[in-house]
Amino acid sequence: MIKEHLGPLSKDNPVLVQTLGVCSALAVTAQLKPAVVMALSVTVVCACSNFIISLLRNTIPPRIRIIVQLLIVSFFVILVDQVLQAVVYDISKLLSVFVGLIITNCIIMGRLEAFALSHKPLPSLVDGVMNGVGYGLVLVVVAFFRELLGSGTLWNHPVVPESWYAHGYLNNGLMILPPMALILVGTMIWVKNWKTERR
Amino acid sequence: MKKFSNAYIFLYITILVLIITTTLTIVYASLKPRRDLNKQAEQYQQILRAAGHDIDRSKAVEAFSNLAVPLTYDGRQYRVVCADGSKGIAMRLDGKGLWGPIWGYAVVSEDWQTLKGVCFDHKSETPGLGAKITEEQFLQSFVGKKLYDQDGNFVSVRVLKPGTASDIAEENRVDAISGATLTSKGVDEMMKTIDNR
Repeated sequence: MIKEHLGPLSKDNPVLVQTLGVCSALAVTAQLKPAVVMALSVTVVCACSNFIISLLRNTIPPRIRIIVQLLIVSFFVILVDQVLQAVVYDISKLLSVFVGLIITNCIIMGRLEAFALSHKPLPSLVDGVMNGVGYGLVLVVVAFFRELLGSGTLWNHPVVPESWYAHGYLNNGLMILPPMALILVGTMIWVKNWKTERR
Repeated sequence: MKKFSNAYIFLYITILVLIITTTLTIVYASLKPRRDLNKQAEQYQQILRAAGHDIDRSKAVEAFSNLAVPLTYDGRQYRVVCADGSKGIAMRLDGKGLWGPIWGYAVVSEDWQTLKGVCFDHKSETPGLGAKITEEQFLQSFVGKKLYDQDGNFVSVRVLKPGTASDIAEENRVDAISGATLTSKGVDEMMKTIDNR
């Protein structure tokens, strides 16, 4: 059962293969910390709403299923947002509007439509977690390079030695801006396609 | 496919919405004290930071009650004890950045001549560029600057591009952040709103 759910991590990755959720992947990856929190938030929302929709799947009238899905998703997003603001205030400030925008993240609605509506609750839960993790992996990789090359830090700890700066090394300011994230995601998709083709 | 009657659909969505809104209201209300406390602590931390204290957020509320007394009812001015032991007036500043509001606190000496320190925050300035206004290096450049020029005219502390020819004396200006012209301008405008007494 586990094996059939591994797709989102690689061959069905929501960001790299299905190019979903790119907007937030560009916006919150200037540093590792917000990227990890964003990945966790999306995973929680995706898993929980998959689970609930799957539980309700036989009672939902098909004509209003999108409305029901949106309700459930926004319920969990608001929940996550409130908890972040209460518990990790600094990071909720960094993520600001992007937590709210999880509601419109295509990965979540996509999994609800494509999986949760036609599968049992437990596999749906696993599917949600795996898609969240698949999305999170890309975020973490992008954020790793952006923070390292853009700010010379990782998880807010300086990693580029002072002596490099003394010898003229400069942080690449472009890395901090969203366009560079797009290029990084593009490069990852390129590598991914190249590896898939060779197989 | 199963057929659902209109009555069922209406009932279904009504109940669902009721459940969801009730739960969210309960969560919202029960977390509100913690959220408010976070915001309050952050504000106090910023005021204390402007006064030169480096205090952890979790201890900010307690420290603030020992170090500051409100001067106005709206919470925009406080009398604070600075890190060097002298007293100062902390005042709230509001302004516009490139993408959204910026705000902060400035602490002036009791004779209203010297800036003891500042602290800025922003809603959505670009990380690495405009967001640098919250960094220690930028904030430190304000410490000890004068609010009045040689002739006693109020000029506040201007934020200007380094090297620009200007008749503003060194003691009345700090360097703008390169790459963040508009955010720096916003800070410049905001600094002009310091009460001129």
